[in-house]
Amino acid sequence: MDAVTYPDKKVIDFVNKNYIPLQVPFDAEPLSKDFNIKWTPSLITLGTDKQEHHRSVGFLDPDAFIAVSLIGIGKYHFDNDRYPTALTYFEKIISDHPQSDNAPEAIFLRGVSQYKKTGSSVPLKKAYESLSSQYPESEWTKKAYPYRLL
Amino acid sequence: MADTIAWEKVFDRAQERAQKENLPILLFFHNPD
Repeated sequence: MDAVTYPDKKVIDFVNKNYIPLQVPFDAEPLSKDFNIKWTPSLITLGTDKQEHHRSVGFLDPDAFIAVSLIGIGKYHFDNDRYPTALTYFEKIISDHPQSDNAPEAIFLRGVSQYKKTGSSVPLKKAYESLSSQYPESEWTKKAYPYRLL
Repeated sequence: MADTIAWEKVFDRAQERAQKENLPILLFFHNPD
């Protein structure tokens, strides 16, 4: 990632706009113990209170890096009950990174965020319908399976 | 020990910036070798 992903201009611009970045060696104590680091690269989205919202382990190319970062920021807002803001990040993954591994989770969390925002169960059913048609093998399709009955 | 103290301080500074700028932190653990 040091050779391919981190020098990429899209990645640099994205990180500078959306995060406070901190790169540390895998054995930098006490952080490596605090965050239970077992393999690199590990990317963790943290809140200002040090709460972990998302973690990715393993190589990511620039597009995958941005998709992982978008889901991390979306979950940071989702976990803090800021559903309209979280939705903007989930929508961006769905529209701009539909082939990424994070797209099914973004559809799932979009449905949940819309439900939390409006109280309507319709978005949950739509999430299942989108997932089953676009990503039938995804674990997120299985997780949304009960919503087909709503 | 000096290394331990340094990384704590580096993280504290990132956390202060995150609070001030109201942004999440992206913590990258890498193998510099």
